[in-house]
Amino acid sequence: MDVQTLLNGLVLGGLYACIAVGFSLVWGVLNIINMLHGSFIILGAYLAFFAHAAFGAHPFLSLPFIAAALFGLGYVIQRGVINRVVSSPVLITLVLTFGLDMILYNAMVLGFSATPRRLALDMGRIDILGATLPLDRIAAMALAVALTAMLFQVLRGSRIGRAIVAVRMDRDAAALMGVRVPQIYAITFGIGACMAGAAGSLMSVVFPFSPAMTGLFLGKAFIVCVIGGLGSVPGALVGGLALGLIESMAGALIGPQEAVLAGFVVMLALLIFKPTGLLGKAGYE
Amino acid sequence: MQLRLRKHWSRLACAAAVVGAMGAGAPQALADVIKIGAPLALTGGLADEGKKQKIAYDMWLERVNAAGGIKVGDTMMPVELVVYDYQTDGKRAGQLTEKLITSDKVNFITAPFGSGHTKIAAGVAERYGVPIMASVASSESVYDQGFQNLFGTLAPNTGLTDNMLKLFKAKMPDTKTVAVLGREDVFPNAMAKALVEGAPNFGYSVVYDQRYSVGTLDHSATLSAIKAANADWIYVTGYTQDLILLRKQMADLGLTAKIVTMITGPAYKEFVDALGPLADGVNSASWWHHATTYQSSDVFGSTKAFYDAFVAREGSDPDYVHASSAAALVALQAAIENAGSIDPDKVRAALRDVSITTFYGPIDFGANGMNGGRDLPIIQVQDGTVVVLFPEAIKQAELKAF
Repeated sequence: MDVQTLLNGLVLGGLYACIAVGFSLVWGVLNIINMLHGSFIILGAYLAFFAHAAFGAHPFLSLPFIAAALFGLGYVIQRGVINRVVSSPVLITLVLTFGLDMILYNAMVLGFSATPRRLALDMGRIDILGATLPLDRIAAMALAVALTAMLFQVLRGSRIGRAIVAVRMDRDAAALMGVRVPQIYAITFGIGACMAGAAGSLMSVVFPFSPAMTGLFLGKAFIVCVIGGLGSVPGALVGGLALGLIESMAGALIGPQEAVLAGFVVMLALLIFKPTGLLGKAGYE
Repeated sequence: MQLRLRKHWSRLACAAAVVGAMGAGAPQALADVIKIGAPLALTGGLADEGKKQKIAYDMWLERVNAAGGIKVGDTMMPVELVVYDYQTDGKRAGQLTEKLITSDKVNFITAPFGSGHTKIAAGVAERYGVPIMASVASSESVYDQGFQNLFGTLAPNTGLTDNMLKLFKAKMPDTKTVAVLGREDVFPNAMAKALVEGAPNFGYSVVYDQRYSVGTLDHSATLSAIKAANADWIYVTGYTQDLILLRKQMADLGLTAKIVTMITGPAYKEFVDALGPLADGVNSASWWHHATTYQSSDVFGSTKAFYDAFVAREGSDPDYVHASSAAALVALQAAIENAGSIDPDKVRAALRDVSITTFYGPIDFGANGMNGGRDLPIIQVQDGTVVVLFPEAIKQAELKAF
């Protein structure tokens, strides 16, 4: 296998990790399969696009603002809507977020139209070890990994982070210890949306996007979570890198037709032989 | 007790609904309005394309109704368009086609966007014997199903690729190899196959031939392989969003060739807008271009009149989707007038005999219901604008190396 394929896969994998980490956190802590996640990413991408069109702001610079805005949106949605049914079976919250996703998705189609948009910020390319890589992708990937690492640090080091981890491990025990569970739920969902928004502004530099892509991103987040293991930040990172490498290698070795399929095959194999994923711990899902 | 009563009521309601539906199926008196049903993708992934069809239908409808309607025998019958949004969901397109026929009682149907969805709707229309006009389906695999009611205004895909092969060989005789990459989907796949099959006849050898699956987010691996194949001509098929990503990633990887074709990228304004300078040099075939100069006796009058009316209304240039969609209804109108009736059997027979020149070009449905081939335009983006390279009669510029 050549260096180009390997590096292509790693760069793509870093982006996948950033797409999936918020989704994984919400699924792991709240036991909610957040169907809104793909739409949050696309919303982030559009916000970056319009920030660039209106103020000339580079998506890497507008990223913190977009992430903050999405955090607010996620917090309000969880606090106002999802918290009402959060302890119902997973199917109820799935249907709820599915419905909310349809509203957000179609609002975006109406507001932004289905025309694919692209941020023309071509930053050139560099040659590494005989492989050619675009700079914008490398920068986006580096930022994606940095953001994921930051989230990891927040979960480990901050009071809120410890509370989130506590709720994930045992909701009732956490409540007994004085953790305000509904508040933690809303913050966790907000962080999930915040990571989606950040991923979206990074994606806007790399991919042309339209509301039609929401399902595509959601699907990738799903596979990454199953491969890496639910609810843990390192799991999302490992899952993302693994999926990027699998798709890249399958594309080079078998052909592009089977590249997407390969990701699903690995996902199915893991579901059969190691349902907790590569880094997941039993009992957390 | 209450529960049981409710059960009875619901059973009664069901029975009533069945009786009602049976009644609705009975033959009806001749309507005084011609109803045309249009399942359109007004939301979802194909929303832009669905809206294009709607604009074209509306432009036709306004003109026809302003003239009092369509002449059926001795009377003028106004036209009503019944539109449903099928939300870019093929299954729903089929259901809505059925609803249009059975509950809205439309006389004719227009097909949804693209070969795949058209095939679904055409299957339903066939079951009820309602003529269906397809404006955006060009894959022969849609027309070879033995449908008697399907009529399409786009010409077969092979017409597009053969003209291209001929032109490029003539203009750049030193190009010998071609790399083909296509989306695994009805139309893009057909276009990729057509080129692969036609290439040897014109002295091209195919050095790479692969499909990428729907939902591919990244093409680095594929494009690296194409780079290694070092072809003179890169030929890619897909839909606008894929093509924008592919062109961007080609630039990212420093992949280039003497000729770069993206079917049907440059035919869409969105492609050129999103790519900016990266669109320069990319060529494509198209079914129609507004530089054509047809004179006609339809409601539009000529290509130029259609173009002017469109620009005045929308403020942008029409593309082949607009033109073909309006032309489908122009052909239907001609058939109804010739048949002097809105009886589906008579109109179907008249559609088979249609042979007219419209603002869009000649329309003459073949045995499979597809419009006959003609010299379809080949276009290229040069300095940010789309110019016609072929046919000679409407040529605006020479082929430029990529």
